Amino acid sequence: MTDAVRVEGLWKSYGKKRILKGVDLQVSKGEIFALLGVNGAGKTTTLECMEGLRPYEEGRIALNGRMGIQLQSASLPGHMKGREALKLFAKWNRVSPDPAMLEALEIRELEHKQYQELSTGQKRRLHLALALLGNPDLVFLDEPTAGLDVEGRIALHEYIRKLKSQGKTIFLTSHDMAEVESLCDRIGILKNGFLVFVGTAMELTEKIGRHYQIHIKTQEGEETYESQDIGETLTAILKNCRERNVTIQDIRVDCGSLEEHFVKIAKEE
Amino acid sequence: MNGFLYGAVLQWRLDLRSRTMLITCYGVPLLFFAVMGGIFTSIMPEARDTLLASMTVFAVTMGAFIGLPPSLAEIYQSDMKNAYQVNGVPLCLGLILTNLSAFVHLFLMGVILYGVAPLSFDAKLPESPAVYFCSLALLIAVSLSVASVVGLGVKKTADTSMVSILLFMPSVMLSGIMFPAELLPKVFGTVGRLFPATWGYELLRENGIAWHSLWPLLAILCLAGLACVLLLRRIRTR
Repeated sequence: MTDAVRVEGLWKSYGKKRILKGVDLQVSKGEIFALLGVNGAGKTTTLECMEGLRPYEEGRIALNGRMGIQLQSASLPGHMKGREALKLFAKWNRVSPDPAMLEALEIRELEHKQYQELSTGQKRRLHLALALLGNPDLVFLDEPTAGLDVEGRIALHEYIRKLKSQGKTIFLTSHDMAEVESLCDRIGILKNGFLVFVGTAMELTEKIGRHYQIHIKTQEGEETYESQDIGETLTAILKNCRERNVTIQDIRVDCGSLEEHFVKIAKEE
Repeated sequence: MNGFLYGAVLQWRLDLRSRTMLITCYGVPLLFFAVMGGIFTSIMPEARDTLLASMTVFAVTMGAFIGLPPSLAEIYQSDMKNAYQVNGVPLCLGLILTNLSAFVHLFLMGVILYGVAPLSFDAKLPESPAVYFCSLALLIAVSLSVASVVGLGVKKTADTSMVSILLFMPSVMLSGIMFPAELLPKVFGTVGRLFPATWGYELLRENGIAWHSLWPLLAILCLAGLACVLLLRRIRTR
C-alpha cells in the first residue's frame, strides 16, 4: 500500500443524525492533506473515526504507519509539568523524545511549568510534542494553530513543513484558509456528510470557475475591471491605455482566494 | 523505571500538589480527630476503646468518597481521557493510578492515626496490629472501589461532589462511628449496612478475622469492581 490513509464508504451517525454519508478519500505518503468544512460538517468526527477514537457504522479505514495525534480538545492534569507529561508518555510507549523536535517546538521553556500555567499556544505545542514522541509516519492535527498568535503560527507552519521534508504524512483540519493554501498539497471539502471536493487549491479554482479582478493605477487614478478571461481583458485594457496615451503605474491581478472558493462550495446547494 | 511505575510515582506527586487531595485525605480527618476525639473521650471515657477504629473509618470514608471522585471525573469526564488514549495509554490506567495513590495516602493516614490516637487521647490499640492493618487495607480498597463508581459513573463533573456527599453523609452517620448503630431506628440501621463504613468499622474493632464483616466488604468490592469495568467500557464507546 503506497497510500498513507485510505477511507472507503465511511458512515457515522449520532443518534438519528447522520454526520458522514459514505466518505471516501485517500492520502499519499509524504503529503499534507487538509480536510475543510464549516462547523458541524464532520471534520473532527472523520478525524476521530480515523484515529480510532470513535466507532463508525459502515466503511473501512486503512492507515499505513505509526500515528501521532494532536487533538483539537485535549488536556492533562493541571498539576502535571511539561517534562513529566513527556516522560510519562515516552516511558509508556518506550520511546525517547527527539531533542531536535523538542528544540524546534521550544518545549524546554515549558518543561518546568505546570500544565495549568501554560498558555493556549504552549499547550498546543506540548500536545504536538506528545503526538510526535514516537516519531510517527502519519500525523493528525486537528486545528493545530487555533488560538495561536502570529509568531506561534509561523513557527508551527515551519515545523509542519519540516515534518513533510522528513517524509511524514500530515492530515489536518483547519478553518484558516491562508494556512491551508500555504501548507497543503491537497484539500478535501466536507459538506452535509459528503466529500464534495478533493484536489489541489488550483483544481478548486478551476472547478469554481476563474474570476479575475484587475486593478490598474494610472496618473488619472485607480480602476478595477472584472473578467473571466484575463488575456483578453488585459489586452483590451493595455490597448485602451495606449490609445489614450495614459501611463500605467501599477497593475494588480486578483484571482480570488481559497477562502472565497471554499465559501462558494460550502454555500452551493 | 517503566511507564506504569513512573505513572504511579507521578500520580502520587500530583496528589501531593493538589490541595483537594491533601485536605480530604489529611487535613479534615486530622481536624475531625482532634476535635471529635477530645469530645468523645471527655463525655464518654469508654469511647477510647473504639476511638481509633471510628476515626480511621471517618478518615478513609472522607478521603475515598470526597477525595477520589473529583480526580476521576477530571480524567474521564473531560478531554484528558482523549489525551491519554491518543498517546497510547490504556483508558484504565488513570483509574488504577489514582486508586493506587489514594490507597497509599489513606493507608498513611491510618498509620498516622494509629500512632497519634494513643498518645493524644489514650486510645486503645488493637491486640493484633497485623490483622488491624489488613482490615484497614480492605476497608480502603472497598471504599475506593465505591468512590470509583461515582467518579466514573457521574456524567457531569459538577454533579460528582453532590453524589459524593450523598454517599459520605449516611456512611458517617449510620455506620456507628458517631453513635452506636444499635440505637438507630431499624430502617436507618438497615440502610447503614449498605455502606462499607459500617462493615469496616465492625472489622476494625474485632481482634481477629471477623467473617461476618468480611464477606459483605468482599461482595461490595466485587460489585463495585464489576461496575467500574462496565463504566470504563461505556466511557470508551461514548
